[in-house]
Amino acid sequence: MGTKLLVVIVLFGMGLALLPMENSIRAERLRLKYGGARVTFQLREAIGQNLAIALLAGLRGVVADFLWIQSHGFWEKREWLRQYRDMEVVVTLQPQSILFWDVGSWHMAWNIGYAALTDPHNRTRAEGIKREREWHEKAREFLARGIENVPNHYDLYFYMGWLYYEKLSQDCDVPPCQAALCRAAEYFRKAASFPDAPQYVARMYPRSLEKCGDLVAAYREWKRLWFQDHTKVEQLWSVIEREIKDLENRLNIPNDQRVFPVKPS
Amino acid sequence: MDAIRTERLTKKYNLGWRKGRLLALDKLDLRVREGEVYGLLGPNGSGKSTTLKLILDLIAPTEGRAWVFDVPCSKVTSRLHIGFLPENPYFYRYLTGAETLEFYGKLCGMGGAPLKRRVEELLEMVGLTGARHRRLAGYSKGMLQRVGLAQALIHDPKLLLLDEPTAGVDPIGSKDIRDLILRLKGMGKTVLLSSHLLAQVQNVCDRIGVLNLGQLILEGDVQALISDQRRLSITVQDLPEAARTRVEEAVRAAGASVVSMEHPQTTLESLFLDALKKDQRGMGHHD
Amino acid sequence: MTETAVVAPAMSRERVGFSLNRVGIIAMNTLTEAVRQKVFNFFLIIGLVFIGSASFFAQFTFGEQMKFIKDTCLGVISVISTLIAIVGTAQLLPNEVENRTIYTILAKPVRRFEFLLGKFLGSLFLLDASILAMCLLFGAVLFIKEQGMIRELHQAYGVNLPAAEATDLNQQIQQVTKAALDVDLVKAVVAETMKATLVAAITLLISTFSTSLVFNVIVPFMIFVAGMLRGAAAEVWAGHKLLMALLAVVPDFGLFSIADEINLGNVVPWAHIAEIVVYGLVRTFIIVVAAHLIFSRREI
Repeated sequence: MGTKLLVVIVLFGMGLALLPMENSIRAERLRLKYGGARVTFQLREAIGQNLAIALLAGLRGVVADFLWIQSHGFWEKREWLRQYRDMEVVVTLQPQSILFWDVGSWHMAWNIGYAALTDPHNRTRAEGIKREREWHEKAREFLARGIENVPNHYDLYFYMGWLYYEKLSQDCDVPPCQAALCRAAEYFRKAASFPDAPQYVARMYPRSLEKCGDLVAAYREWKRLWFQDHTKVEQLWSVIEREIKDLENRLNIPNDQRVFPVKPS
Repeated sequence: MDAIRTERLTKKYNLGWRKGRLLALDKLDLRVREGEVYGLLGPNGSGKSTTLKLILDLIAPTEGRAWVFDVPCSKVTSRLHIGFLPENPYFYRYLTGAETLEFYGKLCGMGGAPLKRRVEELLEMVGLTGARHRRLAGYSKGMLQRVGLAQALIHDPKLLLLDEPTAGVDPIGSKDIRDLILRLKGMGKTVLLSSHLLAQVQNVCDRIGVLNLGQLILEGDVQALISDQRRLSITVQDLPEAARTRVEEAVRAAGASVVSMEHPQTTLESLFLDALKKDQRGMGHHD
Repeated sequence: MTETAVVAPAMSRERVGFSLNRVGIIAMNTLTEAVRQKVFNFFLIIGLVFIGSASFFAQFTFGEQMKFIKDTCLGVISVISTLIAIVGTAQLLPNEVENRTIYTILAKPVRRFEFLLGKFLGSLFLLDASILAMCLLFGAVLFIKEQGMIRELHQAYGVNLPAAEATDLNQQIQQVTKAALDVDLVKAVVAETMKATLVAAITLLISTFSTSLVFNVIVPFMIFVAGMLRGAAAEVWAGHKLLMALLAVVPDFGLFSIADEINLGNVVPWAHIAEIVVYGLVRTFIIVVAAHLIFSRREI
């Protein structure tokens, strides 16, 4: 009996003594935003009993992947609302996943939106356009939440820029919507500010500035890109050169101020 | 020096809440002298296994103490001097005979060439050289018993504790084990063996102790205990039937009485062994 | 039996101190015995099959495929290692007692702590070998997938590419390689190994006083589940000091769950890993000490 009591005391003592260490690790996890959403009753209802058990066993990624594959299946069967519901659950489980926010918003804006536009049950074309625009807005709101959860990567800023550039710029009475294109430019600028952003991201900023109507700012940005160290930076220099030349002509930049002066014929 | 010494060695087992305690060993005072073969006898539940376990520190005494060559049994050092063969020994089935002995030898701090040599010696001694590379899963009961003996001897202990060493072993194997015990005694080893097979104990033990319900009820020299000093047995050969009467009269004239006059008998064991020896095909069962 | 002079080699009769050599002998013997167990082989084969079949998601994007492979494989490693930790350790002591092999071992000059530690280390060797086998297959699956993806990219882009597309292709190949050869996966494996080690220690503790194999499997499993739920329970019981104190005896296994974060590309500093490992090692050490306290007084 004495030994068993000693063992119980040792184990409890150890547990209490390690509480500060556990709290420190938990605080670090909170700071680093590990773990995703708590397993609430609503979440358990949304994912079912078996997946809830897997979730509690620490297989959060596997559960999210399973639901994602399931949502893909709903996409193939054109069951959009079920797909949308699963995507919402998945990003709740893994709000740090760039992939889910990105592909989820793509499905909403491109696939589901188009399906809504061309749905034969639409009474009028206007109704189809309205529904498509609702899905564009859902995608935008979805991505905005993604950016709140993953603010330190270029990806979601770029995808938001792309959403504005391709889709939201069509959602006005007379497209393209200037405001949307200017918003796109802001997001592309933010994305390009990350050191690990690919080279095409940097090019989208001046391109969208052009579409937004701010040719001067676009020209300035193209020049900034051109004057980077060509030996250290990977870029499509031929594309940048072409764009600069085009803008220098359109802005009537004096020949002596051009990056690419025109040779007298 | 006593090989084993116990003082008021007592063991009570807890049987649970309401069932109280079972007195397995009751104030045992035991002394086994160095170099002797001591038989610990008793019916099932008498405390024989408990005594062996207490000596080996597999269980703790409720009261009293025990020593092996003056080293308290609670110390690991005491087991340097002990070799133990449990009842119905069981080893790791996937190991071969040689690997088993090497395993136990290493546990005793042996290694390298000396261990290998020792393993070979013991395998030869117990007659398992031919089966050294066979896994124990393929050994017969007798072979397992012999491996058990070999592992008990691997570190050349001064004291051997043998729990039912011949249980389940055929007569040939039993004889071999008895011969080995006597040879070990000749080498100065002390043996404490516990057995139900009284005839076999009688042939090897110097002294015996009888346990019953945890108490030592009888102890002493085997020959002194089993011989009846009042009676004399004389075996004669080729005595004519007519002379039998004169012998009886001579005994009566001396003031004694003839208790019985009959032909002596051999033992069934001797008959069995002799028959096998005479069988031209040999005694095959070993390896 | 033959007549042979029995001459034992000279042996030191000095004091018998604690011997790591004896611990190692028992550990290796335990490992050799454990790999022959059908249950262990079954779990390992199941794990390897799941890992090997993790790459069949061809209809998804590269990013999705890589994520699925890594989540599945690390999930399998987590589950199988926990099962092996419990099942492999639960049988150690009861088998020795039931088969009576413990008698011949403890009858030798072997300390009980050496025996216990040897059995535990043998179980850990088994666990680590299993995790290593699964990791090697995991690595092979990732490598094969990476090579397959790179081949597909080359096929999609074609040959003799203009500079622009060549640059794009290179960047995509770099992304695939970065996802496949993610050194941070090692951190996830370290965390899972520490978790499984702690589970094995708990199973060892239970087996020092219980002779029932079923009990030795179920109770550690329930403690594991309680440990996984501890974080959630702590949130619910935050205000109850007594309940929180009672909860403290169960390790918080949720702290070892970093595989998902690594697969998501989150930063997991080595300092954080070190803290988790220290936590696990301290818990394991105290539990093994507790197991020794019980086993040293156990009647065999």
